[in-house]
Amino acid sequence: MDNQERYANIIFLNAVLPLLKVIIEDDEKLTAKFSKLTGTLQISALCEEGKVGTHYEIEEDGIKVIKGVIESPTLELEFKSIELFNGFFKGTSKKLPKIKGIRHLKLLMASLGGLMKMANLLGLSTLPPEEKEKKLLVRLYFYLLSSGISQLNKVGHPEISKWVKKSPDRVYAWTVENDEEMSAYLRIKAGNSKASRGIYKRSKPFFTMRFDSTESALGILMEIDDMIESTIKGKLVMEGAPEFGAQLGEYMTVVGGFAK
Amino acid sequence: MAGLTYTVFDTTNLSTAEVYGKTLVELAKEHDDLVGLTADLAKSTKIGILAEHYPERFFNMGIAEQNLFGVAAGMATAGLTPFVSTFAVFTSMRALDQVHTDICYQNLNVKMIATHAGLSFGQAGSTHHCTEDIGIMRTMANLTVMVPADGTETAKAVHAAYHTDGPMYIRINRGFDQKLYESGDYEFEIGKAIELREGTDLTIIACGSCVYQAVEAAKILEATDGLKIRVLNMHTIKPLDNEAIMKAVHDTRRIITVEDHNIYGGLGSAVSEVIAEGGKACGFKRLGIPDTYSIIGLHEDLMNHYGIDTNGILDTVREIMGKDFEEDDDWEDEV
Amino acid sequence: MALHKEVLINLENKAHELRHLCLNTVVWAGSGHVGGSLSSMDIMTVLFHKHMTVDPKNPKWEDRDRFILSKGHCGVGFAPVLADKGYFDKELLKEYNHTGSPLGMHLDSTKVPGVDASTGSLGHGLPIALGMALAARVTGKKYMTYCLIGDGECDEGVIWEAAMSISHYKATNVITIVDRNKCMMDGKTEDIMQLEPFADKWRAFGFEVMEIDGNNIVAIDEALSTAKDFKEKPVVIIAHTTKGCGVNFMEDNYRWHYGGLDEDKLKEAQNSLDSHYETRMKGA
Repeated sequence: MDNQERYANIIFLNAVLPLLKVIIEDDEKLTAKFSKLTGTLQISALCEEGKVGTHYEIEEDGIKVIKGVIESPTLELEFKSIELFNGFFKGTSKKLPKIKGIRHLKLLMASLGGLMKMANLLGLSTLPPEEKEKKLLVRLYFYLLSSGISQLNKVGHPEISKWVKKSPDRVYAWTVENDEEMSAYLRIKAGNSKASRGIYKRSKPFFTMRFDSTESALGILMEIDDMIESTIKGKLVMEGAPEFGAQLGEYMTVVGGFAK
Repeated sequence: MAGLTYTVFDTTNLSTAEVYGKTLVELAKEHDDLVGLTADLAKSTKIGILAEHYPERFFNMGIAEQNLFGVAAGMATAGLTPFVSTFAVFTSMRALDQVHTDICYQNLNVKMIATHAGLSFGQAGSTHHCTEDIGIMRTMANLTVMVPADGTETAKAVHAAYHTDGPMYIRINRGFDQKLYESGDYEFEIGKAIELREGTDLTIIACGSCVYQAVEAAKILEATDGLKIRVLNMHTIKPLDNEAIMKAVHDTRRIITVEDHNIYGGLGSAVSEVIAEGGKACGFKRLGIPDTYSIIGLHEDLMNHYGIDTNGILDTVREIMGKDFEEDDDWEDEV
Repeated sequence: MALHKEVLINLENKAHELRHLCLNTVVWAGSGHVGGSLSSMDIMTVLFHKHMTVDPKNPKWEDRDRFILSKGHCGVGFAPVLADKGYFDKELLKEYNHTGSPLGMHLDSTKVPGVDASTGSLGHGLPIALGMALAARVTGKKYMTYCLIGDGECDEGVIWEAAMSISHYKATNVITIVDRNKCMMDGKTEDIMQLEPFADKWRAFGFEVMEIDGNNIVAIDEALSTAKDFKEKPVVIIAHTTKGCGVNFMEDNYRWHYGGLDEDKLKEAQNSLDSHYETRMKGA
């Protein structure tokens, strides 16, 4: 399997799928549905070594996302191969996964509902109308990009892992002005990387990409607006040395390339 | 600075002490309450320049430092502004009872200019070195303690000292200091550290002759290691710029202090007090003379020997950047 | 110039009054350096009530004469002098040594009006006095600076540094007075650290030496008058005094360098002061 598929897969498994939890928690109806359910949901793909996947532990008090697979989840969406898995999430393949545990109908419906919403949101090419959805989408992008870059480092993506290896202890952050909810950051140090949500409180991040509004953020993240122009217009402020901003932007594009 | 008869070009050729002497003369011209005193060190401390211009306002008290400071205190009670020059080792130790009781306790307007500080009088040996004075003087209540970085800054410190009420201790070197400032055209405020370089990877806080070394180290670290090092010139040790330190803790999380002084009690200790009370995690290391009486040698060589020059700073920064101080066991992305 | 009889009587009365006030202060303070305070009381009386030009209502007056009690431990003697002169309310003496009081064992120049230097650490006063005198030269002022030092205090090297420089700078506007009571804390001065030949030492340092009976008002007054006008060399007045002068059980007794007085002892001391006074008045 070529690296590109591997990288795409890692991004879907570890950066995209975890977003399902964010979507559910943000949506009242979905939260209500899931609060009445218990069990494990797993989304996986068969491969040479066996299986790769991500699963969710659904309890009364909330949902936990866990990387990797377990033996007997309550409900599983199993793809025949990584390529098919990737293809499905990219939207290039229509082949559906095998559904194991289909009798858990309520869980299935709720899960599909969540996944549909995720697919719709991430698939948008123009800004969603509702304010609430705009904010959610910014968060999804921030979390996706930060985890994506971190995951690519962990699997040895050549440019990204080289950058991380060389780096002293630094934190790169994304945020929207005046709204701490829409923030994420990435800490890298000598080969290690960790993506986190929210604001890095320990100190001032080495570099921050600060968008002046939700709309500005989406415009750039959805590649509607040009990054450089936006910086000139003040929609995006790079706090920190500009050459690092350019570098970060590059890696964000790489992640985007795999995820779309 | 009004009325200077020398320019920045001249300061490259003047030792810090000479700049001090000339500045005093400028001030004495405008203020007739300014008097100078020394203990047979007019030539070495360059306060002799004042003596040449205003002999009736200069008093050499001979080799008797305790008397020297007592007399200065007496003069201050009568409304004069005495500038007292002798070597730092004598001001801070031989005459400390007078500094403490006559000057600081009575809060008198005496300006103590302590020369030949640190290891700057390298070849004279420990009897003339002073690596304890910052520690000692910090603990004197009512006393302001300053360590200007070069000749230009010394002139500014002397001016500030004259125009600020109360006891002052200004510590300068013996000989030629590397020129740090290109011009005197910058704001100097007692108690406010000066950020000479921006950065968020690590902060170097230095004073006196070590500031130049820190700046040079930072330049190299940026060029070769790609590190962005913040350099703070902490010219005032008391009152210390706590705000600048806490900002450095927050912004950079790693601080190194560098001083021509014992690691016990000086700038490093002062900064560590702030960090410790600040309660935030911060990588920290003090560079200074490692609690020993120095070998003899030229100042530059001694600074190198004890790791407080550019190379010493480079090594230490690189060491600290590799150190863990934040949880580094969990590198799993948040889900 | 001879002392006018009336003036003399007033001074004797004042010294007597101040000695009593000193004893009271020692009681209020709990204890104090009473021996040296009593030995130097006559000197301080003559200075503050005849020779010094001061204004108690204006303690920082630029042109005032200065007085430095270099033997600063005798605060219980000096504070009564200042209070009585009007520098501060006499009632304050009752709080001597109390927590937070401006009056403590060694008087603080930043807290007590009339105190020109915070002394207590021996040897500090004379250099400061020289500083004040040299400042007068620079500013063109005519005030005199009087510095009262202890004889034990002359063990300190810095006293001789100051003496050397007073002489070098011909600072005749400083008058040094030594309270030569021949006692210090651990014993007699000559047993602890020999000072004799004391007068010779001062002469060798370039001083004009006047040796007087330091508990004789007439002698003190004469010496001060002469000293003020003497311009060839700086003057030192070696005032031979009796430690604890006025209180019979304290006189010449180094054990009363520092002490406290209970009710009985106080009564005894007060009676002794009164007899002492009577004896002196007979001679006046």
